[in-house]
Amino acid sequence: MAQTKIDEELLRRIDALELDERILAWRKAMRAAPWKLFADRERYTVASWRATEGEDIQIRRAKLVANILDNIDIAILDFDALAGRSTPGVIGACTAIDVCGDYIPDLWKDTSEVNLTLNASAALDEESLEILRESARVFGGKTAPEMADKAWAEVLGTWPKDATDAKVKDPTLDAGIFGQVTSVPMWGKLLSKGLRSYIGEAQGHIDAFIQNRETDIDRLYFWKSAVIVCEAIIKHARRYAALAGELAAAETDPARRTQLLEIAETCMRVPEHPARSFHEALQSMAIVSACKVLEHPMHNNPHWGRGDQYLYPYFIRDITGGRVSLEKASSLLAELIGRWGTQIFVTNETQRESHQINFAINNVLLGGLGQDGEDASNELSYLFLHMVGLLQLSSPTVGVRWNRKTPDWLMRKAIKTNLATKGGIPLFQNDENMIRHYTDDGIPYEEAVEWCGLGCVYPCLPSRAEHYGAEGIAGFNLAAVLHLALHNGRGVTGKLIGLETGDPADFESFDALYDAFKQQHRYVLYRAFWLAAIARNVQHKYMRLPLISTIGLQASMDLGQDVLIPHPDYAMFGISDRAIIDVADALIAVKKLVFDDGKLTMAALMAALNANFDGPRGEEIRRMCLKQPKFGNDIDEVDLLAKDISEFSAGVIKSYDNAPFRPYMIAREGLAWHYYGGLGVGALPNGRKALEPLDDGSISPMRGADTNGPTAVIRSVLKAGFEDSYAHVLNQKFTSSILKSPESLDKLVTYTNAFFKNGGTHIQYNIADKEELLEAKRKPEEHRDLIVRIGGFSAYFVQLSPEIQDDVINRSEHLL
Amino acid sequence: MGDVKRALITNIQGYSIHDGPGIRTVVFFKGCSLGCAWCANPETISPQPQIGFIGNLCARCGKCLEACPENAVSMDEGKHRVDDSSCTACGKCVDACLYGALVRYGREMTVEEVFAAVRRDRMFYEPDGGVTASGGEPLLRAPFVRALFELCRADGIGTCVETSGCAAPEQLLEVLPVTGHVLFDLKLMDPGKHRQYTRQSNEMILQNARLAAAAGADILFRVPLIPTVNDDEGNIRQTAEFVKSVLKQPAVQLMPYHRLGDSKYRALNAPNRLAALEVMAPERLEAVRRAFIAEGVDCTISR
Repeated sequence: MAQTKIDEELLRRIDALELDERILAWRKAMRAAPWKLFADRERYTVASWRATEGEDIQIRRAKLVANILDNIDIAILDFDALAGRSTPGVIGACTAIDVCGDYIPDLWKDTSEVNLTLNASAALDEESLEILRESARVFGGKTAPEMADKAWAEVLGTWPKDATDAKVKDPTLDAGIFGQVTSVPMWGKLLSKGLRSYIGEAQGHIDAFIQNRETDIDRLYFWKSAVIVCEAIIKHARRYAALAGELAAAETDPARRTQLLEIAETCMRVPEHPARSFHEALQSMAIVSACKVLEHPMHNNPHWGRGDQYLYPYFIRDITGGRVSLEKASSLLAELIGRWGTQIFVTNETQRESHQINFAINNVLLGGLGQDGEDASNELSYLFLHMVGLLQLSSPTVGVRWNRKTPDWLMRKAIKTNLATKGGIPLFQNDENMIRHYTDDGIPYEEAVEWCGLGCVYPCLPSRAEHYGAEGIAGFNLAAVLHLALHNGRGVTGKLIGLETGDPADFESFDALYDAFKQQHRYVLYRAFWLAAIARNVQHKYMRLPLISTIGLQASMDLGQDVLIPHPDYAMFGISDRAIIDVADALIAVKKLVFDDGKLTMAALMAALNANFDGPRGEEIRRMCLKQPKFGNDIDEVDLLAKDISEFSAGVIKSYDNAPFRPYMIAREGLAWHYYGGLGVGALPNGRKALEPLDDGSISPMRGADTNGPTAVIRSVLKAGFEDSYAHVLNQKFTSSILKSPESLDKLVTYTNAFFKNGGTHIQYNIADKEELLEAKRKPEEHRDLIVRIGGFSAYFVQLSPEIQDDVINRSEHLL
Repeated sequence: MGDVKRALITNIQGYSIHDGPGIRTVVFFKGCSLGCAWCANPETISPQPQIGFIGNLCARCGKCLEACPENAVSMDEGKHRVDDSSCTACGKCVDACLYGALVRYGREMTVEEVFAAVRRDRMFYEPDGGVTASGGEPLLRAPFVRALFELCRADGIGTCVETSGCAAPEQLLEVLPVTGHVLFDLKLMDPGKHRQYTRQSNEMILQNARLAAAAGADILFRVPLIPTVNDDEGNIRQTAEFVKSVLKQPAVQLMPYHRLGDSKYRALNAPNRLAALEVMAPERLEAVRRAFIAEGVDCTISR
């Protein structure tokens, strides 16, 4: 099939778009707004839970959701053209006490201030605090995460908690990541069918159940719960319609009145019925996403998935038919990108450390192959990129699916967007690799091709229930495992987490150390998997997610089965075994310094590590460690060790029998986890000090250690292969000088294409900004990789004299 | 010219995007026939290996003193000093330094070694990238460059030479048949001023430029634009005239002066004759570009 012809004139018009006044007003308000915590939701969870005692859990949960949607405070803010917010605040969160129990320690402090997420707290009035405490009294100790924790303690005593404290694995169960919660809803179905049809579908199943005298009553309850939540969402939309009508009646500005009446009209139509326009499509999604967040306000991220695909028919029909102006369409799109990008939630303690972000991760993945095997990039993909470039938000995570047919115009726009956002947005993922991974694992092409981003790079399929992270294991910290091997099984907390593999000072060969690492790895991972399987058996007894199941997974509707009951055919399990590069660099340093070159004894090295490189020879030994070969410089010895560690770890994961479910898939995502992971790792022989962050990404070189230029990093990465993993994170940093002219943008496109054509899986470009250069001036050893290139001149930033460094810092201001 | 098969290389730099079309790997040869006052890479001027010292990274640990077999390093009042007469640039101090404060400029490499390094980045050269021989003056090592370029071309890797033009015509002619592109510097048109600022007259340079053009080489003339030195009206006009006289489609690329090389002068403990010179304002740069265009010469600015 020939690729759809792209309207180049439309692309040019998109390039000329700016944020309109409405969106600018929102952004200004958003930046100034205090972050608020709304207790409202818990008032209705408690009331409903009390009223439904004795009923089936599925019905109870559905009624609880309905009670929230029927009663919770709603608002249409001055700059809203789309209704549908999970709280009335510009930036607001509600709690998930009914889901995760007494998970917010701040509630019991005297300060009435609750930490929402990183760097943000909200003050609570007495009444709100009391509502939340009451909810904690009602639900505390009885929720799915807490019950699973109890089950874990039954089998392994304090070990699960000890392992968490030692940062060997994460997340904790009270992070609220249940199956499918972080995944992408069936947006295409919602837009083309409308919720009324879901009700018809469920009712049909109910009728058949009765007619066929079926006996699995859980299924009947599931379909009934589906009807309850769909009706509740429709009713919720009508509440917005009514509110918009009231606001319109009181509105004096005619333009705003028209807008409010449009909201009223649209919310009467969608999400109940199919969307007929781009505007209705976005409105439908705005309402349903808000409801989804209200069912479970933690990690329940408003993901776009392949937004440029399912929305495209509505978009292009309206634009080419003149039914909506490009300005209005782009403004509505920006509104929803912005609203979803600023959704926050109240985290638990470990999430606060591990994610280091302020906003619920949401992901939009652009371009990529379509069902016909052709590239599906379109004008809407381009518009998404343009709008995120203008919005300048840290969320959503925007990805471009690269394949051999990805058009240059999309790649150029993507790189330009990198510059506009000072890097990182969008990231690039290899579409072909991803689809091949899925099909190799037995997923049909037509499902595999619809893969979406779940977090940063972890993939998910809209046709399957994703359980990644849902059972207390997503991150598996290989550097912490190495720490165990270096400390006879003890973690940073001093507690025995692993096996007693012996005092490392007694290791007589490199292989003895490597073997100890491998033993620790197998031991800890198998325990973690065992606990996950137990959690899987416990959680659904205490929790159901009827709304997420109904809008999220066709299989749930077809089977009458909540996503929290994993189905062998549809449940997907994953793990992210991380810090391979830290381990490779650390192990190679031991090998060289102690066993090959004999520059240090193992005892001397261990003494330096245990003293965190303090003491008389500490800094000298650290420098010796830093000077050893590092991954990312195209040095076979260490690159191939990284490959070996990767394959070993993958082999252990794959050897685990997860029957009756699919084996765990491996996808090494990164995000900001390296800060958290680092808290579980003492000083390492790669020269990293105790508790400091690990390497960023999942296959990025150690900070500042890739001193042979960017192509050497690529060569190391491709050499190591890491082919066992669906996804990786490779961050590359450039100074702005490398991206200044249109030609240099094109060259970065060429570079990216070359990386992917040769098997690369993920790459993300960051632009070193002024602050980073200032830091490089202060801490040269962490920034040895920063290259300054201006004209034909090239030098490592840290080797420049202070005055010249200042010159370069000043130049970085003039990025564009 | 020494061993044909070996050359001193200061750096082999992947992902170079300012040195010819596409993505290139630049091979910096050590040794130059000129000594331009504004040189940003002064470590490539001397044909001998050298040790550079980056003072701000030095921790004054003294490991370099212990490592030096010639006792050429000393610490005077905490200041690192090298006795150039006894230093052989063996690099032992560089290996011993744990702080990255010492750099060895110049590593002897064979053609095969350089080719292997260039070839490693082969995947990035599509469609029009490749290798660029630079320096220093690569034409001083013409047989080496020729051998390298022949290997590259046989392997489908594009070639480019970046030259000051100050070499014997035979050296130029040896490389011309195997290079896809020539980046040719035109620094100053006045022979006296040229000698004043680069230590050589420009006669041979201009002759070589004509020679290359006559041979049909793909030439891009580049002007390192140095405020107060070569940005005057007269030099612009003369440069434009010259370019027009040798090229059918006359074009130049301006390479604006920057001060970044100053760090390397310090590292080499060498005087920077233009240390006080300020960089050019963007408006002035644009004016020079327009002046070239007014003379009928297409003009771009390298960034």
